[in-house]
Amino acid sequence: METLKYIIKRILQTIPLLIMVSLISFFIIRLSPVDPLAELKLNPSISPITVEKERQRLGLDKPIIVQYGKWAYSFIRGDLGVTSTGEKVSQKLKERIPNTLLLTSLVILLTWLVGVPLGIIAAVHWKTTFDRVLTVFTSIGMAIPSFFFAVLLLLFAVKTGWFPIGGLTSPNFADMNFIEKFFDIAYHLILPVFVLFTISLAGLQRQMRANMLDVLDSDYVKFARAKGLPEFVVIYKHALRNAINPMITLLGFEFAGLLSGAALTEYVFQYPGLGRLILEAVMKSDINLVMASLMMGAIMLVLGNLIADILLIITDPRIRVKS
Amino acid sequence: MVILLVALLFKGCLVKDVPEPKQLTNTHSNQVEQIKYPTPKNITIDGIDYLQSQAPIGKFGGELIASTIGEGPKTFNPFNCKDNISALMAGILYDGLLSTDPITGQPIPKLAKSFSISEDGKTYTIKLRKGIKWSDGKPITADDVVFTWNDIIFAGLGDTSTRDSIIIDDKLPTVEKIDNYTVVFKTPKPFAPFIRMLSTSIAPKHFFMPAVKKGNTSFDSFLSTNTPPKDFVTSGAFKLKEYVPAQRVVFERNPNYYEINKNKQKLPYLDKVVYLIVGDLNNEVLKFEAKELDVISLQGSKVARYKTLEPHSDFKLYNLGPNTGTMFLSLNLNNRKNDKGKFYVNPDKQMWFQDVNFRKAIDYAIDRKNMVLNIANGIGAPLYTAESLNSIFLNTNLKPYDKDLNKAKELLKKSGFYQDKKGRLFDKHGHRVEFDLYTNAGNSEREAIGVMVKQDLEDLGMKVNFKPIEFNSLVNKLVSTFDWDMVIMGLTGSPLEPNGGKNVWLSDGRLHMFNQRTPNEGKIGILPWEKEIDYLYTQGALATKFEDRKKYYDKYQEIVYNEKPFIYIYSPVIIVAIRNKFKNIYPSSLSGITHNIEEIYIGD
Repeated sequence: METLKYIIKRILQTIPLLIMVSLISFFIIRLSPVDPLAELKLNPSISPITVEKERQRLGLDKPIIVQYGKWAYSFIRGDLGVTSTGEKVSQKLKERIPNTLLLTSLVILLTWLVGVPLGIIAAVHWKTTFDRVLTVFTSIGMAIPSFFFAVLLLLFAVKTGWFPIGGLTSPNFADMNFIEKFFDIAYHLILPVFVLFTISLAGLQRQMRANMLDVLDSDYVKFARAKGLPEFVVIYKHALRNAINPMITLLGFEFAGLLSGAALTEYVFQYPGLGRLILEAVMKSDINLVMASLMMGAIMLVLGNLIADILLIITDPRIRVKS
Repeated sequence: MVILLVALLFKGCLVKDVPEPKQLTNTHSNQVEQIKYPTPKNITIDGIDYLQSQAPIGKFGGELIASTIGEGPKTFNPFNCKDNISALMAGILYDGLLSTDPITGQPIPKLAKSFSISEDGKTYTIKLRKGIKWSDGKPITADDVVFTWNDIIFAGLGDTSTRDSIIIDDKLPTVEKIDNYTVVFKTPKPFAPFIRMLSTSIAPKHFFMPAVKKGNTSFDSFLSTNTPPKDFVTSGAFKLKEYVPAQRVVFERNPNYYEINKNKQKLPYLDKVVYLIVGDLNNEVLKFEAKELDVISLQGSKVARYKTLEPHSDFKLYNLGPNTGTMFLSLNLNNRKNDKGKFYVNPDKQMWFQDVNFRKAIDYAIDRKNMVLNIANGIGAPLYTAESLNSIFLNTNLKPYDKDLNKAKELLKKSGFYQDKKGRLFDKHGHRVEFDLYTNAGNSEREAIGVMVKQDLEDLGMKVNFKPIEFNSLVNKLVSTFDWDMVIMGLTGSPLEPNGGKNVWLSDGRLHMFNQRTPNEGKIGILPWEKEIDYLYTQGALATKFEDRKKYYDKYQEIVYNEKPFIYIYSPVIIVAIRNKFKNIYPSSLSGITHNIEEIYIGD
């Protein structure tokens, strides 16, 4: 019951936050000097009447505050509006979200499956050769900008011909059977997943290692060891359960990054995800599309934090007692 | 290590920017290919009026993979395309009554079997092909043509630019069905550009009718990218097979297409045509090099490298000649005041800009050849005329000339300008000649031109403050606030129809940038030569014979050449690479390399 109350309170708290986010984003986009009609105005074959009609269709003839009001009203009713070219925003997002989710969830799954154990092992074998080699590798992983790394891998793919140059499926994808389709997608996913994996693995592994080292140094671990418990039990039953708490908060952020975290890599690999869609929308000041993606990002972040907090309540008895 | 790599990459870019001497020879050896295209002819077999390809007979099967830059098509509705990519895709799906001869640029029959224009130039009679079908097997008849023009175009559904461009004296042309296979168009006055409008796609009435009935909003979303491909009823050589957002558009053979080869087999030869949707130019190049693409259009700096690769690679380069756009410098000739009583242009500057000697001096000071060499890597052609170099209306009597500083200084002297000991230029009232030069920031080509123009004009002692600004702010300056001195701009044009430029050249046009008037000002303060261009432009559209029209448009180009409202710079040359295995390639500077896509086949 307490938990439920807490959740409701948190959700109510997010409402003013979302209003603030939407107001700021809307005004920044509208006040930026990008004119969605500039291209039309400079096209000799478009008549002034057509330009005027477009202005009315996009609602640019009204004051900004009225434009915001209209947007907010339809947003609350669950209508995301249409893009500047007249397509449904919800439809455009629906086309792209599964692709982005496929990429990011695969990466998160992989990094957690590999990163957390590697962090534990590195902490347990602190200052051994294994730990040091791993530190060097993760340093490199953290240092390379994802954009640059992705470009390097693309050049590698061109030179060797071992991997496709971006995209998600081959041109003849529609004619393949199920197994071929599966392998085709996997083949296209290798490089982008590798880039994102290398980069987020580094952070995660280091975080886990640091947490674990902290815990291993604490009194109760020393006590457990002194008590004569087997090393395995000391580490995996006593130390790990305490070290994992900060990771859950991190998981909340990972959740927020599900939709927006891979934008740069998506762009370089021409991956048909949200990244490219939103980049183009921003360039063209396609307000409904940009607003929808920004709101989605904000909601995901709030939701991610909420989930992390709830998970913490479940895993950590100390928090439960306090609340 | 990373920093080192980045540094190396930058170094690579810098080295590339310096033109290599051998690129000059490339330009000269790379003349436009002149392969004669055998235009398809009409042939009637069993009462069906086919179009017969005259190109060599090829083999069936295979696919061609091309690409488009950007986010892909927004719609497949040919009457609602507001961007080039959508128009390209819709153009594949829907044929027009006429098309353009890729070499001569003259209109030739496509969906129509033949066409004729009456003596007075007001009546266009179109005969349709008997027995040809839409992709769903229904016949293509006069009803479809009348429906397309009356219920879609004249009714103002979707994109109205076609309609806007054929309103003559506030009246629209009319269309009338004579019999099932004959249609007559009538224009209120002779209006030559109308013939080009007949290449507008024709819509199947039975398929478009429900959407048209529901009105404008519903028509805008008709044939959107979410429409299942099997629902399409089309007429082009290829029909839609699959659209995958942000990845590709796949077209497959339309078995009902009305063109046959000399063996009387139905075209097209290719099974599939694929357009990959590629986000940027760099990725496109990588995809071509990894053989994921079969054809690519190359930018200046890449051409030299591909030229050296060509002999031992599986592709061939074709030079399609200068592109259809124009790039120019313009001085603001506006001498009026805004509604607050302030001059748009500083009166001292007005005196310079209005002086034709001043404009000509600038023209002579510009080193176009150097710009072509350094900015376009030698892959470009200096431009001196208002019509683009591949235009069929190009006035070839207007001769090119080189940079000539002495002549420029002479002209300035004539108007009382003088240089002091330090070489700075002053006008006859002793004002230092200094003005701003704008272009849109982010366009690296125009920014490079700006830097070179600034240097060239410094040779005359002018002080030019080069200010690249954001594209929208620039457009705003040009079309609403008029507070600019000099600008570098580009416009797209049609190599077939100068009348498209009427918004630029008519003195009350919306893009008459160099002497832009507000809608309320009308034709206020019109210059004698502006008046003459107004006359020539109006007459050029009214004349019906090509030869007569050419006279008017030649004259207008001559006036622009002499008065220099725009100082043209250069046109980039289009170079296309395509894999050797594709045969029946007839490159054309007007229609590109895959204009005869139904005739292209894969050889051994």
